[in-house]
Amino acid sequence: MDSIFSMFLNDYYIQVLTMLGIYLIAALGLNLITGVTGQLSFGHAAFLSIGAYTSAIISLKLQLPFVVALLAAGLMTAIWGILLGYPTLRLSGDYLGIATLGFGEIVRVVFLNMKITGGALGLAGIPRSTSLTMVIILVFFTILSMFRLENSRFGRSLIAIREDEIAAESMGINITKTKITAFALGTFFAGVGGGLYAHLIQYLNPQDFGFVKSFDFLAFIVLGGLGSIPGAILGTTVLTLAPEFLRFVADYRMMIYGLLMVFMMIVRPRGLLGGVKLSRLFAKKKVQTSDTSASGGAN
Amino acid sequence: MKKSKICLILSALMITALLLTGCGGSGEEKKQAEGEKAATGGGTIKIGFLGAKTGGHAAYGVETLKGIKMAVEDINSAGGLLGKKIEIVEEDHGSKVSEGTTVTQKLITRDKVVAIIGDPTTGITKAAAPIAQQNKVVLLSAGAVGPGVVEIGDYIYRDVLLNSVGAPAVTKYLNEKLGWKKVVVVTSMNNDFSVGLTDLFKQALIENKMEIVGEQSIQDGDQNFAAQVTAIKDKKADGIIFTGYYTEGALFMKEVRKQGLKTVLVGGDGLMSDVFLKMGAEAVEGSMFFCGFAVDETKSTDKTKKFIEAYKAGNNGVQPDYFSVQGYDAVMLIADAIKAANSDEPEKFRVELAKTKNWEGVSGTITFDESREPIKSPVYLLEVKEGKLAVKDTIEVK
Repeated sequence: MDSIFSMFLNDYYIQVLTMLGIYLIAALGLNLITGVTGQLSFGHAAFLSIGAYTSAIISLKLQLPFVVALLAAGLMTAIWGILLGYPTLRLSGDYLGIATLGFGEIVRVVFLNMKITGGALGLAGIPRSTSLTMVIILVFFTILSMFRLENSRFGRSLIAIREDEIAAESMGINITKTKITAFALGTFFAGVGGGLYAHLIQYLNPQDFGFVKSFDFLAFIVLGGLGSIPGAILGTTVLTLAPEFLRFVADYRMMIYGLLMVFMMIVRPRGLLGGVKLSRLFAKKKVQTSDTSASGGAN
Repeated sequence: MKKSKICLILSALMITALLLTGCGGSGEEKKQAEGEKAATGGGTIKIGFLGAKTGGHAAYGVETLKGIKMAVEDINSAGGLLGKKIEIVEEDHGSKVSEGTTVTQKLITRDKVVAIIGDPTTGITKAAAPIAQQNKVVLLSAGAVGPGVVEIGDYIYRDVLLNSVGAPAVTKYLNEKLGWKKVVVVTSMNNDFSVGLTDLFKQALIENKMEIVGEQSIQDGDQNFAAQVTAIKDKKADGIIFTGYYTEGALFMKEVRKQGLKTVLVGGDGLMSDVFLKMGAEAVEGSMFFCGFAVDETKSTDKTKKFIEAYKAGNNGVQPDYFSVQGYDAVMLIADAIKAANSDEPEKFRVELAKTKNWEGVSGTITFDESREPIKSPVYLLEVKEGKLAVKDTIEVK
């Protein structure tokens, strides 16, 4: 499937870009939960791992096609998202963060102790079904659905919840139901990302889905700009590719990576593209060009 | 408005600068590599190092790399291999599985290595091995002891002491040299390493006609072993076979001494840690465990002595551990296979590598069996003596 890409990209770049695509799908899911709805989630890696293990087990034990495994991974993760969301989304802010952090650790320890997941030895021999073409299609699908979602009635109620819960409720929004729906949708994409991840890496180990990875995802969207789709894309792209591009500085790689993050947060505290919307990206340009022509006319 | 515009431009500049330096760097790298190739006419044999220099497993990766570098220095100063110099391409994956696969892909596609040494952990080795196998590059792990590694394909090897070699050797030694007849077996049920090792020990015990007079199970993380120790108290066992890790091992032995038992404990290299010695203190005195390599001035061969001295000279007198030794042996194994095949093509020298028999390395002799699993001799049996680890004996394996 990747024969078109392998004509002008070598396998290393294909691997890096596929990984980036997977992270994009999952990060956009988190952006819906944390960025748009304003619900802090520290357990995104756990949802990724639920999707990864579900799809891997379906592929290995039931030998069903990859698409089925991927869809099942998304649905299974969404179910767990709802199960977690139901009791915890009544919490807010820091409390919700701690609850999701706890959930993340529970998931990791459960996978570490289950027989079917291979325990501490991990799950090996998963077929390599993920291709760059497929990931690119899914990334576009994710971006499109996120964009459509954000501009729908439902999306606007999510933003209302983020800005002021009480005001939103008084406007007739069912807060708990809306929040849980957003959580389920966000975790669905994490699950799909996890399924793709499992079929790319071909080996799963619970250790790889610790809270550090959850923070990675949070860093992606915070750096890019919370609640902004282009921001989430840019943040994920920069932070995923930076460690690879920085390989030429060898041992100082992670130091520069850290410095970069600190510096960016000082310069752009709202994230790189904080508050920038996909629809306005194009609209703004028109405004700007008319601006310059107007000033030019004044001169 | 103006301020935010400046910020936007600044950050945009930063990103482009970052991407440009990134691309520029890789471009230069490529040019450099091409230049080198042109200058020496493809005169280097590239071997990749896959391991962690940062993150949780950094200690293993750094030590392995030290051994690898020493081996490459030795080969290159002796005139190289097939008239070419060996070059090590080192990449850090930060102890992450996902980055481990990316690094493997990079080593193969961009650096065009003929062999990869690593990873020291079973997990990342299992993730990297399918990529090496698909691209027909030899991968030799200097540290993966878990099951299901070499089964991935015929380009995958490892040079470690397997529990399936160590446990039978030690059991035989306990029976024949120490005269043990009755033992108690203690397993940590939520620890895969422990469960696997117990099975191997039990098999060996039956083969040696030794009697298991008691079996107890514990959990990793347990603090109190009073019940288990009481249960084995009147069994009159010659010793305790303990397959778990160091923390539980030390605490278990403390309870054993508290209840007045004098038996000692025998286990695998899961006990190899300073914590075992410090936490256990007098209680672990006389306890034994086996491992693939230890520094022993009296019994080691000249080759090993030379390595230990060279390592100490380069590391402020610190003694080498088994990761550096295995890293060294891994390079030498590959180098000898390339020499024997008279070719640095993975397809050709992997055949020679599989034929390795009674190969003398720093950590002992290595033979690859029919399924390409290493049989390593000798097995080092360590004993706690006056609060320090000492080599009790080296057990030859046939």
